[in-house]
Amino acid sequence: MARPRRDEEPHVSDARAEILAKIERAVRTGRIPGGEPHGAPAAAKTAGDSTLSNADRFILEARALGVEVFVEWSAEAVRERLALLTSGKRVLAWHPNRLPYKAGDALPGAVSGAASKVEQARADVGVTGCHGAIAETGSLALIEGSGCSRTVSLLPPVHVALVRRADLIATMGEFFTARADAMAQSANCTFVTGPSRTADIELSLTIGVHGPGKVVVILGP
Amino acid sequence: MTFAARARDAIGNHQLHVALDRTTAQFGLRRSAAIATLDQFDAVRNQARAAKMQVLRTLGESLQEFERQLLASGARVHWAQTGEEANQIVVDIALKAGVRRVAKSKSMVSEETHLNGALERAGVTVIETDLGEYIVQLGNDRPSHIIAPIVHLTREQVGRLMQEKLAVPYTDDTQTLARYARERLREEFLQADMGLTGANFGVVENGTICLVTNEGNGRMVTTLPRIHVAMMGIEKLVPTMADLDRFLKLLARSATGQKLTTYTTLIRGPKRGGDDCGPEELHVVLIDNGRSQMLAGEIAEILGCIRCGACLNACPVYRTVGGHAYGDTYPGPVGAIVTPGLRGLDKHAELPGASSLCGACRDVCPVRLDIPRMLLALRHQAVEQTPQPLALRVGLKAFAHLASRPRLYRTAMSWVRRFLRSRASDGWIHDAPGMASGWTRFRELRAPAAQSFEAQWRARAATKSRT
Amino acid sequence: MIVQLFPTCLVNEFRPDVGMAVARVLERAGCEVALPEGLTCCGQPAFNAGFHDEARQVARHTIGVLGATDGPIVIPSGSCCDMLVHQNVELFRDDAAMADKARKVADRCREFSQLVAERLRANAAPAAAGAARRAPASTRVAYHPSCHLQRGLGVTREPRELVGSVTTAESVKFDEQDECCGFGGLFSIKNAEISAAMMDRKLAAIEASGADRLVSCDLGCLMHLEGGLRRRGAAIKVQHLAELLDEAATP
Repeated sequence: MARPRRDEEPHVSDARAEILAKIERAVRTGRIPGGEPHGAPAAAKTAGDSTLSNADRFILEARALGVEVFVEWSAEAVRERLALLTSGKRVLAWHPNRLPYKAGDALPGAVSGAASKVEQARADVGVTGCHGAIAETGSLALIEGSGCSRTVSLLPPVHVALVRRADLIATMGEFFTARADAMAQSANCTFVTGPSRTADIELSLTIGVHGPGKVVVILGP
Repeated sequence: MTFAARARDAIGNHQLHVALDRTTAQFGLRRSAAIATLDQFDAVRNQARAAKMQVLRTLGESLQEFERQLLASGARVHWAQTGEEANQIVVDIALKAGVRRVAKSKSMVSEETHLNGALERAGVTVIETDLGEYIVQLGNDRPSHIIAPIVHLTREQVGRLMQEKLAVPYTDDTQTLARYARERLREEFLQADMGLTGANFGVVENGTICLVTNEGNGRMVTTLPRIHVAMMGIEKLVPTMADLDRFLKLLARSATGQKLTTYTTLIRGPKRGGDDCGPEELHVVLIDNGRSQMLAGEIAEILGCIRCGACLNACPVYRTVGGHAYGDTYPGPVGAIVTPGLRGLDKHAELPGASSLCGACRDVCPVRLDIPRMLLALRHQAVEQTPQPLALRVGLKAFAHLASRPRLYRTAMSWVRRFLRSRASDGWIHDAPGMASGWTRFRELRAPAAQSFEAQWRARAATKSRT
Repeated sequence: MIVQLFPTCLVNEFRPDVGMAVARVLERAGCEVALPEGLTCCGQPAFNAGFHDEARQVARHTIGVLGATDGPIVIPSGSCCDMLVHQNVELFRDDAAMADKARKVADRCREFSQLVAERLRANAAPAAAGAARRAPASTRVAYHPSCHLQRGLGVTREPRELVGSVTTAESVKFDEQDECCGFGGLFSIKNAEISAAMMDRKLAAIEASGADRLVSCDLGCLMHLEGGLRRRGAAIKVQHLAELLDEAATP
């Protein structure tokens, strides 16, 4: 179990003391601006349609990213959709206890984050729930914990995320506030906003680099 | 090679010209579209600026609190005064843990310190996993843009490079080229002993390290290897999660035109008890390397930079000469300040002068950094600290002497006018003498007037008063 | 209303005719134009080059001359105006008395188009600076917004409105209109190749727009662009905004 301890090598402590001493001297002479910056500010602009519900906004943003979104109205329909998406495929999933809609029932033979990395890396599809679905950006919040391994949404080429209505939240800022405790107890919280991508070569877009190239959301009741 | 020589080479490079036009135009358009989706963009920028300036004013306390929070989460914290110290710390961590392969996600500060060479010399293999950086590494090249390292290369060049270094069939199809990299690097992710990243933001109030990436390599190297080392400049702090939220609204929009990058990763310590994956050890290396020095002077404000690259895309000089001309890790307007700041003005005195001070950078900066003011401050410092061309010194001194003595000024100016007019034909000078020859290399110079405005005005007034 | 005219050194030595046009336009807009005695230069070249002592020497003199007058100070140059409005206070940061004088002068400064537009709005009578009393040949005008004017001073609307007020002139947009022309003062000589490359881009865009006239509020930009156009043998006429307005109003 991790235990807080400071590094004890003397040269490092010296570095720390030196740096802090330099900083203390520096802030006395440094030109650090306080108030309004110089220049003619542009007019404020408004964001998208604020009359949309969280669900509608989330769906709009997610689809704009190339995420495929299925809207299902019952737990059974969610499981059916999930079964369709994963039939004949090797599945890596969160532990059934952590999946909503008893989705584990639709994933017999799924491997979990407890399996070896090599085996996890062979999966075709990763199935997760989520800890939040951010409407303003179409993002999925995934908090690492027991049974919620990060590898599930990272290693396979396809990521299927089960989102409950109750997971929807308007903004990331609100999520930070609402889930501060859950985040504090975890080593990792990742917001997934669409499939992985790069535009490094001539700024031309390629979808699907190291993370999943396809993200699917099943939005249930 | 001097900046001037590199700039000259760049201007003569047609393919670079095409690449830079495309890069700056594309990024500019994407940024504009993305800004339009942010409510109260300027208000958010003002808040972000205030947060960064507050961090700088309280940097010592902020760093200590950040360290406390990191330690409480189980991370180990190291402090490095210089780039060499930082590299040594990382090498020591690697050697102590028997690390043979390091998988790196993009980290500009690690380029600043030249980490890769230090690791290689210690017998540790380093693989860059960001596609652009991977290609830079393959080609033994240098990045030319903060966000998109290989904007200076064409797809054909990348294709040829991969064919040569990876023994794959030549193609210029970017999807295929990305796939080549994906296949090679997947194995690296699974085999690496250590993952190395930078840190886009460090949140003081809870010790969170935030990484902002698109490809997934950032997640890979902070999930699979047993050790994660994050190198972080001491200025990369933000006070609270609410501040982080604001910066996240600004960073991707300013850099690539996205609302958010694909992966926003918030790290709090190494893996916890019940986690199936994640690093057993998290090391955070806090790096000074000249930052505390910059904090002490006129350019302290540049420490608020969040490395979005928007200033590069807006800068007509960057667009003309590209990133390599700046000669160091950080190009563009921010580089023209940071490079002299980190490496010494005496070695890079040309950089602050390589600007027309148009202010486009300040306009687009998400933290509203006053880059022109800092360039001017560095120019002043250069005059105090480095040798200036004799002609310039003498010329400006003479001009100042004259310009504060109107009668002397008028006389001297009338001689200058007469002299220049004597070199003109048809009202224009094709070949100006001395320092001014730089002008006529590319432009005609209008001959001055026979009589100054002031003389004409006084004459007119005298005539009027006589009638 | 009496206004103090600061011609600027470039106008004074190279284009006194622009200074005269400025004065006439101001007079038509209802101003009485005074020329303070002993004006030389705002000090910007020395300041931009980092020579603060020299810049202060010049600025001290200029602030002294202007400070001894009253009323608005009109400057037919965005960059000189920005120097007086923003940079002098910076230059005299460590000299409270001078900084105060600099601030008082700064508060009175108006760039030419800024003041003319202000006067036209204030005057009920349409002594419109650009109202055509005769009809010069129809002309397609490209307006180049200089950097210190648009970004330093935030003056973006007024010059365009004034060009637009010339009924026989058609405003023509061109690509990347807001981008720096590459003059930058001494930059044009010290970094001549970069300056010229930026100039080439600007001129190519202006030529592609089909404009037959290029107008700006800054003589530095104008001399640079005009010098480039002449070297290329291009037929585009280059004018300070004051000349365009003066021409349009002259019977």
